[in-house]
Amino acid sequence: MVLQDVKPTRSELINLKKRIKLSESGHKLLKMKRDGLILEFFKILNEARNVRTELDAAFELATDKINLASAVNGVVAVKSTAFSTKENPEIELSGHNIMGVFVPKINSTGVRKPLYERGYGIIGTNAYIDETADAFEDLVEKIITAAELETTMKRLLNEIEKTKRRVNALEFKVIPELIDTMKFIRFALEEVERESTFRLKRVKARMK
Amino acid sequence: MDKIWGKKPRKSDKKKKGTSNYAYAVTRVRAMKSKLLPKETYPRLMNMGVDEITRFIQESEYKNDIDELAMKYSGADLAEHALNRNLALTYAKLLLITAGEPNYLISEYLRRYDIWNIKTLLRGKQYNASLEEILETLISAGELTYTTLSELAAMESYEEIIEALNETDYYPLLQEEYDGTNLAYIENELDKMYYSGLFGVIGKPRSKDRKLFARFIKLEVDAKNMGTLFRLKKAGVEQLDEIMPLMIEGGLELNTEKLASLPYEEFVEALRKTRYWDAISGVMVPDMDSLTGLECRLLKFSLESATTYSHVSPISIVPIMDYIIYKNNEVNNLRIIFRGKEAGLEDELIKDQLVVI
Repeated sequence: MVLQDVKPTRSELINLKKRIKLSESGHKLLKMKRDGLILEFFKILNEARNVRTELDAAFELATDKINLASAVNGVVAVKSTAFSTKENPEIELSGHNIMGVFVPKINSTGVRKPLYERGYGIIGTNAYIDETADAFEDLVEKIITAAELETTMKRLLNEIEKTKRRVNALEFKVIPELIDTMKFIRFALEEVERESTFRLKRVKARMK
Repeated sequence: MDKIWGKKPRKSDKKKKGTSNYAYAVTRVRAMKSKLLPKETYPRLMNMGVDEITRFIQESEYKNDIDELAMKYSGADLAEHALNRNLALTYAKLLLITAGEPNYLISEYLRRYDIWNIKTLLRGKQYNASLEEILETLISAGELTYTTLSELAAMESYEEIIEALNETDYYPLLQEEYDGTNLAYIENELDKMYYSGLFGVIGKPRSKDRKLFARFIKLEVDAKNMGTLFRLKKAGVEQLDEIMPLMIEGGLELNTEKLASLPYEEFVEALRKTRYWDAISGVMVPDMDSLTGLECRLLKFSLESATTYSHVSPISIVPIMDYIIYKNNEVNNLRIIFRGKEAGLEDELIKDQLVVI
């Protein structure tokens, strides 16, 4: 707020006091929100770190399995068997609220299938194919969990950042400026009061 | 569709087609077998890098196939397609140089590739794979030529493909049973049909060579059944009515019905009394996390057993089958080494997958 634009009136002072009070309570609430979000973030961070480690391991295993299956059966056989997949996994996206942040909840169905529901014939395939399919089903499950946690983390981080900016803006800019303005108005009002007292004294002296 | 199938001989025709030329065929096959890679080659290949192996393959019997496909593929894909092409041409050559009974027996044995291709076509249509993708996964080593398969692959739906196969033995099964949703069932039935057809062709073996041929197929059936039983037990399938439809009839030794009904521990215990136990005992662990080691041992056992008596009947189907096994095994071994090296698999793991006979 530019001081020149401020009208140094009593009503403005009352308004300012109200705004300062509001800003201070907002600042306190936002600080609490920021701290709460950080707590939530760290809770999820550990979980996400574990899932990421599991995801890396699952990816490595799946790659090894498909490489082995491709070597033993040929890529041609692996590709042909992959064509027999008849149902794609379904993903249902819902969400829940963490301190005003909407985070996703991903429910998946049909990722892990029993051997006889994968779509390929059992007699014409072998354990190399089964284990590759197993490993990739596991990988997809891990990807879904990781996606949920990492999106949650990303959203929480964004919100923490936003809240932090707001807290800082209130703490270091808005509230100090309001206080300065309030001081200026008070000073101006006192000045006006002194002027009028002085003027009254002058009038009184002249009348004598 | 008559255009596609017009020249295809029917089963009954083939029996009549010419007199058996075992002496000529076996001589040609011996010459072909001498060109196969000796088993000492594999340890050498294991010590080579991917580039060296590529060069080795380029300078071997596979040169023409590599040259032919080099424009389209590169790296391990080039090697694999070249190996498949060479295998298909070799089998086509076998069919050309044989007549009468050996021709009939070989073509029946090679029907596994026709079945593979039909399965791939149906899978491709179910998945809505592109024509290019389907063509890349076909191996025309059976009776169905590449041109025929390409025409089938270009068809719009599985119904058209089935209709185009109306002159073949697969038609009744496909037409009556396949409804576009039960592909796994159809695949299993096609595989079982292959083996029952093969046993039908062999008939009741009386001569020594027929007995050996039958023994090889029976060993393969036992290995397949055992692998399937392990896979199903690992997956928790216990119901006899779910397991038995997946068993191929006509194995050498295994009583599949009895084995299928046993819980896992007793099933393993029952296998101890079979000839396969020595081959698989080294990889048997209680929880059986992975079955690949077991399947690899079973394959090695059946191939080694099949080739042990190949010298018994020198002028018969046995040396020809022996060559088919060796050639197929060479292609498999080269692919395993090439793909394994390219993917960075450990040397020990690659060596474990090789079958050196």
